[in-house]
Amino acid sequence: MTTHDTRPGSAGGADTPGPLHGGPDEDYTPEQLAAMSREELDILGARYDGVEILHVDPGPEPGSRMEKRAVRQVGWTFAAAGISAFLFLVVYVGSGWFLPEWAWAREGTTWSALFTPLLGLFMGLAFALAGIGLVLYTKKLLPHETAVQDKHDGSHFDRVTTGATLVGGLHNSGLARRKLLTRSLGFMGAGVGLMLLAPLGGLIKNPNKGNPLGRTSWAEGVRLVRDDGTPIRPGDQQPGSLETVFPAVPGGNRQSDAATMLIRLRPEQVNADRPREGQADFGYNDYVAYSKICTHAGCPVSLYEQETSRILCPCHQSQFDVTQGAKPVFGPATRSLPQLPLDVDDEGYFVARSDYIEAVGPTYWNRERI
Amino acid sequence: MSTTNPHSDAPTEAVSSPVDRARVRRRSKQRRRVANVAGLMASLVLTGSLYSVFAPAQAADDTTSESAAEAAGRELYERSCITCHGENLEGEPNRGPSLIGVGEAAVYFQVHTGRMPLVRQEADAPDKPTIFSDEEIDQLMAYVQANGGGPTLPSGDLRDGDLAEGGELFRLNCASCHNFVGEGGALSSGKAAPSLKDTSDTELYAAMLTGPENMPVFGDNQLTPDEKRSIINYVQTVKFQADPGGAGVGRIGPVAEGLVVWVVGISVLMFGIFWMGSKA
Amino acid sequence: MAATATAPGAPTSRLGKAATELDDRLIVAGPVRRTLNKVFPDHWSFLLGEIALYCFIILLLSGTYLTFFFDATMIEVQYDGQYDPLRGTEMSGAYASALDLSFDVRGGLFMRQLHHWAALLFVASIVVHLLRIFFTGAFRRPRESNWLIGVVMLVLSLLMGVTGYSLPDDLLSGTGLRIISAILLSIPVIGTWAHFAIFNGDYVGEQIIGRFYIAHVLIFPAILLALIAVHLLILVKQKHTQFPGPGRTEHNVVGNRLFPTFAGKATGLMLVVFGVCTALAGLVQINPVWLWGPYNPAQVSAASQPDWYIGFLDGSTRIFPAWDINLPGDYTIPALFWPTVVVAGTMFTVLALYPMIERKVTKDTASHHLLQRPRDVPVRTSLGMMGLTFYFWLMVAGGNDVIADKFDISLNAMTWIGRIGVIVLPPIVYTITYRICLGLQQHDREVLEHGIETGVIRRLPHGEFIEVHQPLGPVDEHGHGQLAYGGAPVPKRMNHVGGARRAIRGFFSPIEQPSAVELEQRGEGRGLAAGEASRELTTSGRPSDGGRPSDGGRPQDARD
Repeated sequence: MTTHDTRPGSAGGADTPGPLHGGPDEDYTPEQLAAMSREELDILGARYDGVEILHVDPGPEPGSRMEKRAVRQVGWTFAAAGISAFLFLVVYVGSGWFLPEWAWAREGTTWSALFTPLLGLFMGLAFALAGIGLVLYTKKLLPHETAVQDKHDGSHFDRVTTGATLVGGLHNSGLARRKLLTRSLGFMGAGVGLMLLAPLGGLIKNPNKGNPLGRTSWAEGVRLVRDDGTPIRPGDQQPGSLETVFPAVPGGNRQSDAATMLIRLRPEQVNADRPREGQADFGYNDYVAYSKICTHAGCPVSLYEQETSRILCPCHQSQFDVTQGAKPVFGPATRSLPQLPLDVDDEGYFVARSDYIEAVGPTYWNRERI
Repeated sequence: MSTTNPHSDAPTEAVSSPVDRARVRRRSKQRRRVANVAGLMASLVLTGSLYSVFAPAQAADDTTSESAAEAAGRELYERSCITCHGENLEGEPNRGPSLIGVGEAAVYFQVHTGRMPLVRQEADAPDKPTIFSDEEIDQLMAYVQANGGGPTLPSGDLRDGDLAEGGELFRLNCASCHNFVGEGGALSSGKAAPSLKDTSDTELYAAMLTGPENMPVFGDNQLTPDEKRSIINYVQTVKFQADPGGAGVGRIGPVAEGLVVWVVGISVLMFGIFWMGSKA
Repeated sequence: MAATATAPGAPTSRLGKAATELDDRLIVAGPVRRTLNKVFPDHWSFLLGEIALYCFIILLLSGTYLTFFFDATMIEVQYDGQYDPLRGTEMSGAYASALDLSFDVRGGLFMRQLHHWAALLFVASIVVHLLRIFFTGAFRRPRESNWLIGVVMLVLSLLMGVTGYSLPDDLLSGTGLRIISAILLSIPVIGTWAHFAIFNGDYVGEQIIGRFYIAHVLIFPAILLALIAVHLLILVKQKHTQFPGPGRTEHNVVGNRLFPTFAGKATGLMLVVFGVCTALAGLVQINPVWLWGPYNPAQVSAASQPDWYIGFLDGSTRIFPAWDINLPGDYTIPALFWPTVVVAGTMFTVLALYPMIERKVTKDTASHHLLQRPRDVPVRTSLGMMGLTFYFWLMVAGGNDVIADKFDISLNAMTWIGRIGVIVLPPIVYTITYRICLGLQQHDREVLEHGIETGVIRRLPHGEFIEVHQPLGPVDEHGHGQLAYGGAPVPKRMNHVGGARRAIRGFFSPIEQPSAVELEQRGEGRGLAAGEASRELTTSGRPSDGGRPSDGGRPQDARD
C-alpha cells in the first residue's frame, strides 16, 4: 500500500492524470464503476498500475476451424498427461500386487530393473505433457496482448520525507549529545555480540595437542595385518606384488591414516632401489612399506604399476616411484610417501620398527615443526 | 584383425562369444591399428619361419622326452614367441621378459586375451582377438609349464566364493585401477588398466595369479584361492546385474552424469523455452 | 467498507461474495491486482532463472521426502537389506540407510535420483542464467545488488552440492570428503584449527556426516530460500530489463501481463522442468552408491571425480604444479592451497565484484534497463568468453583421466594439455571473440548503410556485376541508408523485414503460405487492437525476429 496509489502524480500511463491523495475510490463512485464493462474495468485497473495494453491479438474465433483444432490439440495433450499419471499410479501401486514384485533381485524378474525407469517415464511424461498442454493453451487459445508498464525511478518526495522522519527521530533521541549513552551502548553491543558467538567455541579443538596429525597407530612391534586381521610372513607375497596392510590394533583397518602398502620388489627393482637418505634400512630384504595416504590430498594411492615401479594416485594423478623412496615424479604432489620401517618378529611375522618418522597424509601449515 | 594374420587357419568360430563382442566393441580401435598389425605380424611370422628353417636340428634334439602337446607347443613357441622370449624362455634384453617361472597361467592369460604375440613394443600390450585356437593355447601352455614351471590354472567353479567378501576385496585391491565395477581406468604415461567387461573367469584368475605387465601379482598366500573366487564372483555378478535406476551411462559416475545434464537436461529445457518464446 | 447486497457493483455470484469477504479481512485486492498486472518481457532468455527456481522447488520437495528415510549416522552397522552383493558388509548407518532408501523403499530410488538430477540441473541452470545476465549487461546499475545475491546463491548451491553428495558416505563421496579435509588442512595458519573445528578432530571422526547433514538440510537451504525471496523481491521492485526495440525505453517494460499469459507459460515451464527432472530420475541412473561400496579410508577407485560443478576445482588441482612454499620457521603453504582455496576464492570474488569493476573502468554510473547485445560490448564479451574458457578448461582437466582412458591419450599428456591450455587458450579466445564482435558490429552498420543482400546479381551496362541491396529505410542522394544503430538486431535476410513476423509462424512447421497468413490477419481487425501502428510493439520471440531498428520507412510491409 505504499507505492503508486498514495503518491502524487503516479498515474501510470504517462498521459493520464493520476489520482491525488484520496486514491481511486474518490475518483470513481461505485455507480460509475458499475456502469463500466469488464474490459473497461480491466484496462482502468491496469492504468492505475502503470500498465497500458497496447494491442491484443484475439484468440481464434469461437467455433472456427482453428479453434477446434487447437482445442483438440490441447485437450489431447492434457488427456495424455492424465493417462501417464494414472499409469504411474498403476506401476507404483500395482507392483507386487497384480504386477511383479518391484524389489531389487539379482536373479528372477526384470521388473525390478524396470520399476524405477517406468516411474520416471510416466511421471516425466505426465509433467511434461501437462506443461506442454498449458503452453499450447496460452499460445494457441489465449489472446495475445502486448502491454507496457512504466518504470519509475526513486521518488524525490519519498526520499525527502523519509529522511526527515529518520533524522527527526534520531535528533529527538539526543544520542549525538549524550556521549555516555552512545559509549555504553557500543560497549553493551560488543559484549552481547561476543556473548552470542561464544558458544561456538565448543567447536574449537586444539590440533596441536598430542600431535594427532603427526601420529598413527603404528609403533614398535605392531604387526602388519591384512584387512581380515591375518599377519603376514615374508614368504607370503610374490615379487611384484602389493598388499594393503594395517596395524594390528583394534579398528586398525578403519583408521584413516594407518593404511600402508607392503610391496615386494622384483629383483630388477631391488637392484635399482635408491631409498631416501637415512631410510636405507627401512625395508626388509626385498620388501618396502609406504603409507597409502597421498601426501597431496589424502586419497589412497595404490595404482601400482609393477613394471614401471610407479604408484599413481587416482584423484589428482600424482605419481610416486617406489624405487626412489616413493618420491613424487609427476603431478601435484610435493612430498615422498612416508616409509614404514619394517622388521620381522620372533614368530616370523612382519612388524613395524616404529611409527612413521614423519606425518602421513596431506601437507599442512606447521607440518615440519611437529 | 584375424584377416591380416596367416595363423588364422584355426577356425574363428571356435572363438568364444565374448571375444566376438570385444571385436565389435573395438572395431574402431582395430581399424587404426590394422596397418601396423599387418606389417608387424608379417615380419614376426617371417622371422619365426626363418628360425624354424635354420634351426630344425637343434629343436629335434630336445624333443625326445616331450609329450605330443609339448612338442606342438614348442613348434608354436618357435614360430611366434622365440624372437622376444629367447630360445629357452630366458627372455631377450629390451624385447621380452623371461618366461621361466611364469607358468601356464601367464601363457593362458597373455595368449587367450590376444595380448601375445605382441605386435610392437609400446606402453601397454593391448588385448585383441586371439590368434591361436584353444588347442594351440593348450599346447603352448604345456610347453612353457614343462620348461619354465610356475603357477598353473585353477580348476572347478571359479565363482564359488562369497559375494560381499569379494566386493570388499575388489574395492581394496582392484578398484583403484579397474574402477568401481571393472570399467578400467588410465594409468601413467599412456598405460591403462583394462576394462573387465569381456574378461572370463579363468582370465581373471590367471591375471591375479600372474600379474601380467604392470598389474601387481596376487599370489595364493596373499589372496587365497577362495578369495580369488570371491572376487571373480563379485566382478562377474555385478557386471551382468541390471541397473535398477535406468540407463547406466557407463557406470563411471560424475563425468558421464555431468555430460547428461548439459547435453540432455539443459538442451531440452533450452529448446523448451525457445519454443515458449516463439510466436504462436 | 461493508458492501451491502444492494450497492452497485457488488458481487452477486457466490465466488464474488467470498472474494469480498476475504478482502474485507485482508485488504488484498489492491496488491493482487498490481501483481496480476505486472508486465513480464516475453523473451526466451528471461526464463533461464526460472528453471533454477523450479529445480529448487523439486529439491525442497524430494529432499524432504529423503529425510524421512535417511539416517545421518556414522555408527557402523552390518548391512542386511535387499541388495545382496553388499549383504553382510560393515558400513556406516548413513550408507546403509541410503541403500535401504534405494532398495527397500517403494519409489525411494526414484526420489533419490530425482533429487540428484535436480541438483545437477539446478546448478547448470544457475550458470546459464548467470551467463545471460553477464553477456547482456543486465547486472549494471541498479541491479548490482541482485547480481551479488546471485553469485552468493551460486556459491551456496555449490556448498549444498558438496554437503549433499557427501551424505551417503559411499566410497566415491568419502574420497571427496578426504579431499575436502585436505583442502581445509592446506589453509595457512588456521588450516588445522578449521579442520578440527569442522570435523571435530582429525579426519574422519564421527561427526562430519551429521554436521554436513544439518548444513545441507537446514542451514544452507534456509539461507538460500531467504536469498531467493530477496532476489525476486528486488526483481519485482526494479522490474525487468529488456532488449532494445521499437517502443522500448529505459522507462518501460514491454511484454505480457502476469495473468493469464505469463502465468500460463511460467506454470507450463515449471511442469516441463518437473517433467525433465522426473524423466531423468527414472530413465538415467545417477550416483549408484551400491556399486561404489561403503567408504573405507584405505580404498579408492580409479576415476574418482566430483559432480560436474566442482569439476573445475578438481581440474585446477590436477594440473597445478608441485609447488609447496616453505617459509622460514619450518612453516609450509601446501601446493593444494592455491588451486582450491585461492582459485575458487579469486574466481568468485572477481565474479561478484565484476559490476563494480566495470563501473569503475568504464565510468558508466547511469542506470540501465535496456540490455546490450554482446557484440556491442566487445571487451566485456571477450572477457566473459575468456573466463568461460578458463572455467571450461579446468573442468575438462577435472575429467582428464576419463578422457585419457576413453580416447587412448597418455594421462601425463592430458595433464600437460591441461596446464598449457589453461594459460594459452583464454587469451586466444579473448582475441577471437573480440574480432568476431567487431565483425558483427561492422556488418550491422553495413546493412544499415547499404541494405540487405538480396542475392540478386545484376549486370550493369558497362559489364560490372553487382549484388542488389535492399535498403532498410530512406536513403540519401548517394543511396546510403540514414538509419542509426539502435542496439537491436538488424534484419539480415529479406524475410526478416517488415511484415515477416507473420510470415514465419509456427515453431515446428513454419507456415509460409501467404494466403493462410492473409486470412488470419483479416480476422485480427477485431478486439481491443489499439491501432495498426502499435502492432510494431511486438516482443521479440526469437532472437532472429526481434525489434526493428526504426519504425519508419519500412520498405515493404505485407499488411499495408
